[in-house]
Amino acid sequence: MGMEAALVRGSMHVALLGETSTQMALRDPDIRLMLRVRDDDNVAFAELVELYNHRLITVMHHLVGNAEEAEDLAQEAFLRVYRSRKRYHPRAKFSTWLFTIANNLALNTLRSRKRKPSVPLNLRDSGPLGPRPAEQLVQDRGKQPMQKMQQQELAALVREALETLNERQRVAVVLNKFEDMNYAEIAEVMDLSTKAVKSLLSRARDNLRLALKEYIYMDGEPLR
Amino acid sequence: MSTLNDQDRENLVAYLDGELGEEAAQALEAKLNVDPTARAEVEALRQTWGMLDYLPRPAPSTTFTTRTMDRLSVERLSVRTGKMPVAARTRWLSYVGWAAAVLVAAAGGFGLANLIWPAAKNHVERDEILVKHLGVVEKLGQYQNVDDIAFLQALADPDLFGEEES
Repeated sequence: MGMEAALVRGSMHVALLGETSTQMALRDPDIRLMLRVRDDDNVAFAELVELYNHRLITVMHHLVGNAEEAEDLAQEAFLRVYRSRKRYHPRAKFSTWLFTIANNLALNTLRSRKRKPSVPLNLRDSGPLGPRPAEQLVQDRGKQPMQKMQQQELAALVREALETLNERQRVAVVLNKFEDMNYAEIAEVMDLSTKAVKSLLSRARDNLRLALKEYIYMDGEPLR
Repeated sequence: MSTLNDQDRENLVAYLDGELGEEAAQALEAKLNVDPTARAEVEALRQTWGMLDYLPRPAPSTTFTTRTMDRLSVERLSVRTGKMPVAARTRWLSYVGWAAAVLVAAAGGFGLANLIWPAAKNHVERDEILVKHLGVVEKLGQYQNVDDIAFLQALADPDLFGEEES
């Protein structure tokens, strides 16, 4: 349903531009590859996997927060691309189509995870080893300027901040930041209006700002 | 105190992303020029966005493409031979397993119930006995007032109350 709507919007967009699929394919080498995949060319499919695996795994990793699961989901997304190859028509950039499939997969995973939540460990259950590094960092944040923090520690903090966002906000942020997608492209992937994406990103980035405000410095002073 | 309203705040992110229309961007810039608090908000949003760069971009495992192509070959082979891929077969087997488990549980429950309440099994036989002795059942209340059968027989003795008058 969502994907169909996105494809319809995509085709309307192409029709408005008066651009044929042949013209699009000539311009976009990935579309040319996908058209070869549609004709059962496995070498072309391997090329597509090789071209997009890093990007797709990165996006999946930031959405589900687990490297192994991210690889599994990325692999499934590629296989879905292959399975639906005969229905492929170049109406938009190939990456938009790929990330629409990836978005649906990731959202399903996050929703099923919500239905079967894992029991988080209580931070106070650290035992005789004392607080974990992230916990220690929170305790020490007033003493340590951001510049001195290790990259890994910052990554953990940013990861936690990202996890405070709801699923849709997280998808929008990840596509915007890591895929450099503009609002129209995100709207197509997420089956939303551009206005809704603007509002979604505004709320998401404000939530991130609040979650990370202790680590934002203004004129050498932490932001209040 | 910032001079920005809710709409301006929603526009801030779009402004930073270069997604705000020219007119709205100019109006926002005019406010930012005279409002240091608003400029601080923009700076905070900009820095927050920059912090996302600390997130790692994990490289795929070296065998990722090979593994994906292998899985594809397995799928294609299953389509050709009509055999289900392992994942689908496992899923199908798990459905069959669950169905079998439900059947076994139902049968076990029925057997156990018969073992615990055997009378329930013989309810037809029991009804037949009740019908056969319906006369006794109907007068059970009266019979319960009688101590024993000898007493009843004694009541039937004609000498006890004398002959009936004709």
